[in-house]
Amino acid sequence: MRTKWFAAVAACLGLLTSCIKEEALNAECDITGVDSAWIARHRSILIGRPIVTNDHVAFNIQKGTDRTQLDPLFTLTPGARLTMRADGGEVTANGVMRDFSSPQVYTAHSEDGLWAKDYTVAFNYPQPISRCSFEHYELDPTGRYHVWYETDTADTDNPRRDYWASGNPGFALTGMGRTAADYPTTSYALGVKGNCVKLTTRDTGFFGQGVGMPIAAGNLFIGEFRTQYAMQFPRQATHFGMQLVGGRPLRLEGYYKYTAGPVFTDKDQNVRPELHDTCDIYAVLYEVDPSNFMSLNGDDVLTSDRIVSMARIDEPGEPADWTFFSEPFRPMNGKTFDEERLRADGYAIAVVMTSSRQGAYFEGAVGSTLYVDEIRIVWEGEE
Amino acid sequence: MKKILTLTAAACLALAAAADNGTQPRDRDDNLLRAALKGWHVRLSAGFNVGGTTPLPLPREIRKIDKYSPTFNLAIEGNAHKRIDDSRWGIMVGIRLESKGMSTDATVKNYHMEAVNADGSGRIMGAWTGHVKTKVNNSYLTFPLLATYAINDRWSVAAGPYFSYMYNGSFTGEAYDGYIRDQNPTGEKAEVSRATYDFSSSLRHFHWGLQAGGEFKAYKHLCVFANLQWGLNGIFPSDFESVTFALYPVYGTLGFAYLF
Repeated sequence: MRTKWFAAVAACLGLLTSCIKEEALNAECDITGVDSAWIARHRSILIGRPIVTNDHVAFNIQKGTDRTQLDPLFTLTPGARLTMRADGGEVTANGVMRDFSSPQVYTAHSEDGLWAKDYTVAFNYPQPISRCSFEHYELDPTGRYHVWYETDTADTDNPRRDYWASGNPGFALTGMGRTAADYPTTSYALGVKGNCVKLTTRDTGFFGQGVGMPIAAGNLFIGEFRTQYAMQFPRQATHFGMQLVGGRPLRLEGYYKYTAGPVFTDKDQNVRPELHDTCDIYAVLYEVDPSNFMSLNGDDVLTSDRIVSMARIDEPGEPADWTFFSEPFRPMNGKTFDEERLRADGYAIAVVMTSSRQGAYFEGAVGSTLYVDEIRIVWEGEE
Repeated sequence: MKKILTLTAAACLALAAAADNGTQPRDRDDNLLRAALKGWHVRLSAGFNVGGTTPLPLPREIRKIDKYSPTFNLAIEGNAHKRIDDSRWGIMVGIRLESKGMSTDATVKNYHMEAVNADGSGRIMGAWTGHVKTKVNNSYLTFPLLATYAINDRWSVAAGPYFSYMYNGSFTGEAYDGYIRDQNPTGEKAEVSRATYDFSSSLRHFHWGLQAGGEFKAYKHLCVFANLQWGLNGIFPSDFESVTFALYPVYGTLGFAYLF
């Protein structure tokens, strides 16, 4: 009886395990990064780290650098390959010399040959952040949510600058957004001038709850959103700031209006009637090592000892109509602005806005809505 | 579960008591009973279900079953059996209270998953690479309809369809230590340490399948049996999008029966 029982269990286990099929070839086709030896060879022309997203790669290079003959070498998903269109066909592209006067398209193909995606690769001369009107936006490549970019009109063949990032790609995973307007960060037609951005704290549904992130605050910031870490280390997914400093910053200016959502909840979705939601708009100037750019993130963007100065609306309140603000950069950590450091690309600036001040800790009120438009950093000598 | 345990305990006690009382006057009562049942023989049985709720065949995305636990699944059953015209053939009908469950821990690669939000507002879709823990525990009221064939006095076999009503079910688990690619393998990649799921409310209530097995009559009133129940419809409705392949309950039962 006993042996029979064991035999039956063994048979069932056998049934389950014996039919494991041969492993499929990789279906992924990512540019995972830029070859470190290539970066080392081009250290003198590069500013900061290349930004690699799921569909584009942006290199910031010193103004005036010749970009007509560059041969970037990328690291790829194992088994994947890169091609480009040339002479009416697809030819191998990784490490091949190309003219980056305008952005170039690379196509990544998966090992199993079933998947492919395009990357736009650009070599940009950085343009200090100045006036941001949020008129330049488009749908992401999957057509679900808005992304914003700035333009450098002086760079006619390559004007696009992907400086803005939001948590929208993370929210996309929850499946809660049916249209772009359902996302936490979205374009809105009725701005102070033209379009503005609308930031809304959203419910993330059962998927968000399943990973302990019940809400998503609308956010938009200068920097990079690393979706890869969004669910494991959400505050490290928001890389705040880029080396886009035009001088000593004096003020952060712009227009906003805000309404807090009715019910404030914490990370565990407990209602906290004693708390009321607040928005946040601030800019941070901080020091960076030009040869090893490390951005601030959600954990230290307000507290790092690298911060030189910060401009922030301390008490934004809930203005129902467009309200102008002009906040001075206040020094921090006893630091002063150093022109020498600026010339060596030793500063970065972040502009951050969010519909829930504690959104990074998943505390806030669903429905809190912040509208922002005509953001400006006033640099010394610009007044 | 508690209810089933109590019922089974009661059944076992009844069987034990009945087995002790195999005396002469009781046999006469049995004869009277048999006459009243017009050739139908009644039996009560108890056993364990061991098996899996599994896609068949295993899809290529499942790379490894790291852990499998059959869990504790009881089946108690009452049957009526009748031989056809004193031939070796017969028919058996029954009613069975049983649970079918298991827990597994599997490594998957590029496993397509979809889920619709409870309020219908959106849909999660992606390709998951990492680990998946699954825990199934479904309770059924099952009606087997079997043809029997007696090989000799001691051995007989039975086969036929069964129809089940799931009155209580749970299908839960978690995806952990891996990453999801939004929409498909080219989408945004997000690492996940742990995400839980619960598809219990989407489970299908009606199941059917085929059952086949054999039994050995060890004593006049007691036989041991083994059978295999092969589910022929998936545990989720075919339009259920979260698990893209059908999961079939395939379970073996081992037990003993008291023949009245």
